Amino acid sequence: MMFRRTAALGALVLCTTLTAPIAPVSAAGDTIVFGSPVSLTGSLTKEGHLTQEGYEFWKDYVNSHGGIKVGSKSYKVEIKYYDDESKPATAAQLAERLIDQDHVNFILGPYGSGTAFTVAQMVERKKIPMVEGNGAAEKIFSQGFRYTFGVLSPARRYLEGVLEMATKQKPRPQTVAITAASDAFSQEVAQGAADWAAAHGLKVVYNNKYPDTATDVSSIVSALKATNPDIILNAGHLQDALLVQKGLKEQNVSAKIYGYSVGPDTPDFTNTLGKDANGVYGGAQWSEAVKYKGDPGFYRTAREYAEAFDKVYHHRPDYHDAESTATCLAFQYAIEKAGSLEPEKVRNALTKLDQVTFYGILKFDSRGLNVFKPMVVNQIQNQKLVTVWPSGLAAAPPKYPTPPWGER
Amino acid sequence: MHLLAQDLVNGILAGGILAVVALGFSLVWGIMNIINLAHGAYIMLGAYVTYQLFASFHVDPFLSLPVSFVVLFALGYLIQRYIINWVARAPVLTTFLLTFGLSLLLVNIALLIWTGDTRGVTPPYSGTNFTLAGITIPWVKLYTLGAALAITAAMQIWLTRSKTGRAIRATSMDIGAAQLTGVRVTQIYAIVYGLGAGLAGVAGTLVSLSYSLNPTMGQPFLIKAFVVCVLGGLGSVEGALVGGLTYGIVEAFASQIDFTIGSQHVSGTGLQDAVALIVLLIVLIVRPTGIMGRATA
Repeated sequence: MMFRRTAALGALVLCTTLTAPIAPVSAAGDTIVFGSPVSLTGSLTKEGHLTQEGYEFWKDYVNSHGGIKVGSKSYKVEIKYYDDESKPATAAQLAERLIDQDHVNFILGPYGSGTAFTVAQMVERKKIPMVEGNGAAEKIFSQGFRYTFGVLSPARRYLEGVLEMATKQKPRPQTVAITAASDAFSQEVAQGAADWAAAHGLKVVYNNKYPDTATDVSSIVSALKATNPDIILNAGHLQDALLVQKGLKEQNVSAKIYGYSVGPDTPDFTNTLGKDANGVYGGAQWSEAVKYKGDPGFYRTAREYAEAFDKVYHHRPDYHDAESTATCLAFQYAIEKAGSLEPEKVRNALTKLDQVTFYGILKFDSRGLNVFKPMVVNQIQNQKLVTVWPSGLAAAPPKYPTPPWGER
Repeated sequence: MHLLAQDLVNGILAGGILAVVALGFSLVWGIMNIINLAHGAYIMLGAYVTYQLFASFHVDPFLSLPVSFVVLFALGYLIQRYIINWVARAPVLTTFLLTFGLSLLLVNIALLIWTGDTRGVTPPYSGTNFTLAGITIPWVKLYTLGAALAITAAMQIWLTRSKTGRAIRATSMDIGAAQLTGVRVTQIYAIVYGLGAGLAGVAGTLVSLSYSLNPTMGQPFLIKAFVVCVLGGLGSVEGALVGGLTYGIVEAFASQIDFTIGSQHVSGTGLQDAVALIVLLIVLIVRPTGIMGRATA
């Protein structure tokens, strides 16, 4: 047994060191080179590819519109990717390689809170600024890091919108049950929702976590059902969101509102569940319905962005695409403001950034976190994603309460 | 009380699938002494066979069971015959690395074919349920349990009654003596490995009904297969069944743990894996060969 364990560890170590291929990068004089460790294989493949799409879309736009202006000179943009295999430790090693061997100017963040956290530690050591748009855990921003900036609304906010919307419905729901995966992001989402509920007169009747590798959640669903909640919230990721939603149907649990932190916004949620996805709410960083009028330098509205994006990638952008593009925009504006490619100057420009984009406001608090942009709430209606909150941005009113399982 | 009964049912329903998930893994480990790290990838491929038949030809998932078995059996047989056989006598680390590599290869091929999108197999009866004495039972999971029990029973009968089955058991008991009586060990090994993969394929079909598909979905099942087969005892059908049911039930009951020490709230739902592993530890201390395992010479 002991030997077998050593063998297992040996195998794992070997596999993590034999990572992505090495290719030289040309840090030519008139090019700004960004580096990004991103999940192109492994459990976060899907999200990793969305991230890359968001980056590439911006790069192609900038290069076909004359590049980024630094002082009087215009620079083309190049992005160097390595596959982190969805492993946080690998991502940090790859960030080190990007900085030390490939001499990239700046780092575009990886996908996921866990990965963003390890890369944040690396860029801090190397004093190279990173902007990231796919790690919303506040843990990343409570370490006093000076070189990491996140364009996302923080994790705690993910389900607040769903609850706020809920309190405005009639009859007003009274009780909330929360299930959450055990990873840092999901735990922060759940904590944020529980705190908000308690502060606004909603009673939390169930609040529990499950392992993020769970393959069966039926016992959790049974326990939750016993509390007969008006609102059911899940803080997790796509795979477990699907597991929970299927479990709720299998055990015939009916509530007035079903809210998910991650899941409903990816087309996979509806494709997998079909009609059973109807009526479900999701907190989202962005949707096509948001009505910001962005500053010049890029597509100025969500609609323009979405249409141009669709022409290139043949699907509508989801919020992962948008937040990744916004990550690049933060650099674009900061570099132009700094008038320099020096890491320290760009970092200082990022701290003072205050721009409106198609994605919303880009502005960071003293921790590097974008607390200035609100979340939106989407609902799946007739198997389509519709923005229903805040009411100023809504494309349609929420369908409340969600009908019973047989009538969706 | 009612919730405990519901948990027992949930546990049995989940445990039946886990038994099939672990069965092929246990046979390959127990008989060939190969810890097959590609097992999770075979489960994933089995699930995609079901998905593809369901999506393209509307084949009912349960009818695709024999197809996943045959496809994965053939794949496993060829892999053993032409790849693993080269290192059959090498130290365990070599087969370990080889099957790990195979797993990476298969997952990435699946990524090329099906992309990283998450998919589901949802027949019309998916999610339907009935209530019996206040306990809710989903039809899909009940059918799945029935299929799992039928598969394990069929395996047991085949291993004890058929000529090949007996040759397999003879090889696992004493490879030298088996060879002396005319058993072709290379052939037997290829059949066992094929069987392991075929059973993984069947397990993949069964899990596709309740779990969603993507190319990396096999990983958590590989870990569960590992625990279940050590828990029940290596290399036997009854071991996998008892191990699977034990694991399923323990996990379900673990979700009921809920107490507070001082200001620290302890909840079993986040600790399901830990509780199951603690049970494994206790079993290994009391019965190092697993619940149903026999001591080997």
